[in-house]
Amino acid sequence: MKSFLTLLAALLALCALGFLLGSYESDVYRKLLLWIALGLSFNFLFGISGQVAFSHFVFLGFGAYWVAISLVHWDLPLAVAIASGLLVAAVAAAMIAIPSTRLEGPYLALATLALGQLFLLGIASGRDLTGGDSGLGGYSLPPILGFTVKGPWYTACIVLMLGLTYVILDRLDRSSFGRACRAIRDNQTAAQAMGINAPRTKVIAFTITSVLASLAGIFYAFVDNLVAPGAFSLESMFILLFMVIVGGTGRQLGAIIGVVVLYMAPFFIEPLIGHYHFMAFGALVVILIIYKPNGLVSMFDPILKRRRMAALEKAQL
Amino acid sequence: MQDFFELIVSGFASGCLYSLMGLSFLLVMRPTGVVNFAVGQYAMLGGFAAVAVMTTILIPPIALPYVPGLLVVLALMALLGAAVEWIAVKPLVDRGAPPVASMLSLLGVLIVLLEVGARFGGTEALPTEPPFGFRRVEFGPFAGTPQSLFTIAVTLVIFAAVWLFFERTLWGRAFEAVSLDRRAAQLMGVNLRLVTVSAFASSAVVAGLVGVLISGTTGAYYQVGMALTVQGFTALVVGGVGRVDGALLGGVLLGLLEALVMRYLPVSSSMTLAVPLVVLLAFLVLRPHGLLANRGGH
Repeated sequence: MKSFLTLLAALLALCALGFLLGSYESDVYRKLLLWIALGLSFNFLFGISGQVAFSHFVFLGFGAYWVAISLVHWDLPLAVAIASGLLVAAVAAAMIAIPSTRLEGPYLALATLALGQLFLLGIASGRDLTGGDSGLGGYSLPPILGFTVKGPWYTACIVLMLGLTYVILDRLDRSSFGRACRAIRDNQTAAQAMGINAPRTKVIAFTITSVLASLAGIFYAFVDNLVAPGAFSLESMFILLFMVIVGGTGRQLGAIIGVVVLYMAPFFIEPLIGHYHFMAFGALVVILIIYKPNGLVSMFDPILKRRRMAALEKAQL
Repeated sequence: MQDFFELIVSGFASGCLYSLMGLSFLLVMRPTGVVNFAVGQYAMLGGFAAVAVMTTILIPPIALPYVPGLLVVLALMALLGAAVEWIAVKPLVDRGAPPVASMLSLLGVLIVLLEVGARFGGTEALPTEPPFGFRRVEFGPFAGTPQSLFTIAVTLVIFAAVWLFFERTLWGRAFEAVSLDRRAAQLMGVNLRLVTVSAFASSAVVAGLVGVLISGTTGAYYQVGMALTVQGFTALVVGGVGRVDGALLGGVLLGLLEALVMRYLPVSSSMTLAVPLVVLLAFLVLRPHGLLANRGGH
């Protein structure tokens, strides 16, 4: 109950922040929220389930393009567009995951990287359907139940989506499924010896996180009312991976910290070092993997531990 | 028909480059188990280094002839490979971290190298003159540019040398021993540090050579790295991961396939990379062990 109230308060605070910001700031803010949602689901896929997959942005892009194409070309109602998008994403993710679970580490990485590059090539040569390199625009969020949702109210919708993503992943992480994922990540043979169905667990983890990425993509489509291939490039995928590693692989809080730090960093270090932030991220990742493999979040561990001990003592009294 | 034979030669030549990229992966993978996706960036940097050292474009005062220039570039690449190992891999191996940690830290290196290349060489493709001129060499029904023939010859020599090294020299056997069992090899007196450093250095040299060869045909460009990484890895997967001869076979087949598809199928030239991508996915899903069977031990 307490954790539920904490979450509710956090979401309300995030919504409230949306009403305080100006138009440029709230654009940055909405994208930050979407990156956090992506970071959370990628953290589950990469950090908890141990699958080094470069396909996360494919599903983000798929969700965004599906909704845009549904509205522009197919004239579908919004609810149908969203539902069908998530359904197709789930089927596609499962179809990709079933053969890929046989692949380990670097093979999965390169297979999903290839998938991402093919997706980009497909978009770029999609002519009228996808708008090619310049992207697809000229649509807007249809009225929902008669209300036109825009500005901070749309930010609130994104906060809601982020909250949903967080709750789903948190529940999964704390369930036997989450523990099975971690067991497979740490030692697949041992996990299977304990009776865990490793392929099935991996497929489910890949499918759920990919659908969550598509969900984020659907919300992304209405941030700029434009979807273009540049947003789903390999560079973004690398940055997402770096965010999770920098924050702390395998921990929800770590993913959030990593996304916020790396997303906000360019705004602060750009005046100091110019356009070298991507290079700096690469160097930071090398340094952190070597010297702080548990990420930035591990710096807070002594504080968290002290609080937990204090709570325990209180409970004993 | 003449067109077809010329296509075979040029496809074979680009296939040789993919084989060399596969070899670059393999040189590190076999002894250490680490997959280094940054090899494509070595090739990109090798291309820019060649332009810098051999022409007056990037560093005007220096314009060495081809052979000394090549040696300088390859020496620089060896230093780079050793430095990357020392900075990004050694601390992890010392700590006993799993190979995937090294793979991730090398992804950080990949981005650093990519950005360094883009700053040093710029984001426009640098046109370079082919070092052996624009002539056309004919032999029987085949014909090709001197650059293609040079590429093919260099590749075959390197693969023969690598094969001889692994099969016929004590040093090569030491590499093999390390790839089979690091601990046992160390107990038998193999110097693990030396093997690891020379694996990373030679991998960078081979990839850098690919960059030099490419810069002689299509010019040096900061984005060739990722494509070469994909093509090299595909060559490995097609031929059979872990085998030197597999890398050669896979690369050449891929190069020929790419040339034939681009020539005879109605696909736009922007889709060139789709060929290795589709081949890679098909092999990983349908035949992950490649065409040649695995030698075991891996």
